[in-house]
Amino acid sequence: MSTPLIRLRGVTKTYERGGEVLTVLNKLDLDIEKNGFYALMGPSGSGKTTLLNLIGGLDQGESGEIVVNGEDIARMDGADLATWRASHVGFVFQGFNLIPVLTAQENVELPLLLTNLSRSERRKHAEVALALVGLSDRRSHRPSQLSGGQEQRVAIARAIVTDPMLIMADEPTGDLDRKSAGEVLDLLTKLNEAHGKTILMVTHDPAAASRAKKIVNMDKGRLGDVVDNQPVAQR
Amino acid sequence: MFPTRLVFKNLLKHKLRVLLTVASIAIAVFLLCALQSLVVALDAGVREAASNRLIVQSKVSLFVYMPESYKAQLERVSGVERIVRWNWFGGYYQDPSNFFAQFATDADALLDVYPEIQIVEGSAKDFIDDQRSCIIGAVTAEKYGFKVGDTVPIIATLFPRTDGAAWDFRVAALYRSLKKNVDENTLFFHSQYLDKSIELGEASGPSGVGVFVLRTAPGVDQTALMSEIDAMYENGPQVVQTTTEAEFQAQFVSMIGNVPFFVNSIGTGVMIAILLAALNTMLMSAREQTRDVGVLKALGFQDGSIFGLLMAQSLVMCGIGGGIGIAMAKMLEPGMAKFLGTMFPGYEVTSTTLMMAAGLTVGIGVLAGIAPALRARSMHVIEALRATA
Repeated sequence: MSTPLIRLRGVTKTYERGGEVLTVLNKLDLDIEKNGFYALMGPSGSGKTTLLNLIGGLDQGESGEIVVNGEDIARMDGADLATWRASHVGFVFQGFNLIPVLTAQENVELPLLLTNLSRSERRKHAEVALALVGLSDRRSHRPSQLSGGQEQRVAIARAIVTDPMLIMADEPTGDLDRKSAGEVLDLLTKLNEAHGKTILMVTHDPAAASRAKKIVNMDKGRLGDVVDNQPVAQR
Repeated sequence: MFPTRLVFKNLLKHKLRVLLTVASIAIAVFLLCALQSLVVALDAGVREAASNRLIVQSKVSLFVYMPESYKAQLERVSGVERIVRWNWFGGYYQDPSNFFAQFATDADALLDVYPEIQIVEGSAKDFIDDQRSCIIGAVTAEKYGFKVGDTVPIIATLFPRTDGAAWDFRVAALYRSLKKNVDENTLFFHSQYLDKSIELGEASGPSGVGVFVLRTAPGVDQTALMSEIDAMYENGPQVVQTTTEAEFQAQFVSMIGNVPFFVNSIGTGVMIAILLAALNTMLMSAREQTRDVGVLKALGFQDGSIFGLLMAQSLVMCGIGGGIGIAMAKMLEPGMAKFLGTMFPGYEVTSTTLMMAAGLTVGIGVLAGIAPALRARSMHVIEALRATA
């Protein structure tokens, strides 16, 4: 097996609630391959989102190492982690999380403010990303003027506009109807297959999980089987 | 790069709320400038008092008169160059509401001792030569439409004419003042006219002199001179108090109470109230932006940028309000000066007042923004994102 893009070793994450220490992730080991499309599945409270947040650099564990493309992000401080997120990860959230006062175009341009691109270059990049998700004609619309599916596609455009290697999707179809969910999953599949993005997706939906190449099962903070889902994805 | 666009878009999200806060800040800053300008007006006489003038008044009170004979005695004191008498006349033009100050004085000495009084229309010689003439400040002249050559009837209260008629003064000239210690609202006329009228029984009223203004020679030790004059009348007939012009003005202002403290207290109260209003707006705005803060942090914006985003919103909101207030204070200055002319003749919105208002505006912006900005800065990205759910 080739060197994994992401390697987790002995990752532990605990929370303290009401004086009680809850172990959400317990000495977890996992390898994520480059260009993989992983679905993290499991019951509520199994630690899926926590794991996604740790790999995405949104949160930090108590112990263990998380090496992404050769960098141990578990040892980075908050500022370095923010810089790392800006250039390596794109996030897609269940609730879309677009900035309501900005237009679709402005929302997509937002991550590009952290790059050295000029204003016109930022605009062009955002236009390309919006075209990729099929929303060129909605770029002047605010989130409140878009449907849920369109909002999530704008969020995907925002996630890919900086061309990150990783896309973290937390229940991306959770708030969508079947048709819109299908469109979003088509997009994620396209990003993985045509653009080589490594995707980690938390989902409860078996239909959504069936689009992934591998399914990682979790329960009570521990990893279960990692199932190769290739035949289903190809279907 | 800083998300500048978000600063303005977030402010415009709740237009009415921000508009009301901006309007409150604008009115408060305008009020503060106006109040401070009143203090400046009250202080103008002290600030711009001449250093070569001394004031001699009764030690009992400003309203107790000194004998006329003091003038000749004071003229013989070494170091005294010139003396001018000032007597409060206390009349009004046509109606008691048309009040402006009138003083009986020594015409030629007045213009000599007060070089800041500049004749701008008419003739000083005409004023000096005609004992029934007067000079009037340009502001009062403009207010009532007095012109050179007009006769101004003044109804006396302290010195009524025995025939019940008004005192008639021919306007020989209009003056402007080069300094704020002399206002442009006063009517000056000849003491001789007043004295002679009382002497001939044409008018009644207290005799004597309210105030002597002495111009001292260059290089004179004024402290010694003041002591010498006070000592001259230690045994009466009227004990006097000699002060510098600045002291006299300060004493005059203090007669109406500690106005600067009172006015500044009101100003402070207004600013505290407006700080709380601005803080309330910013706290509401920041709470609504919690999810956005989480999103921005997730995208890679640093904590410093988040802090700056909230602080900038507060500073822009307060800056716009304060800027409008400052502009209003400056634009309405001529109207306010005219409106308050008689009571506060030195009303002026100085650059110091404007700088102070600008500084306070920035201070309010910082204080209103710092708590929500610090909260947003320190908030963990996951915590901020969860706040949306």
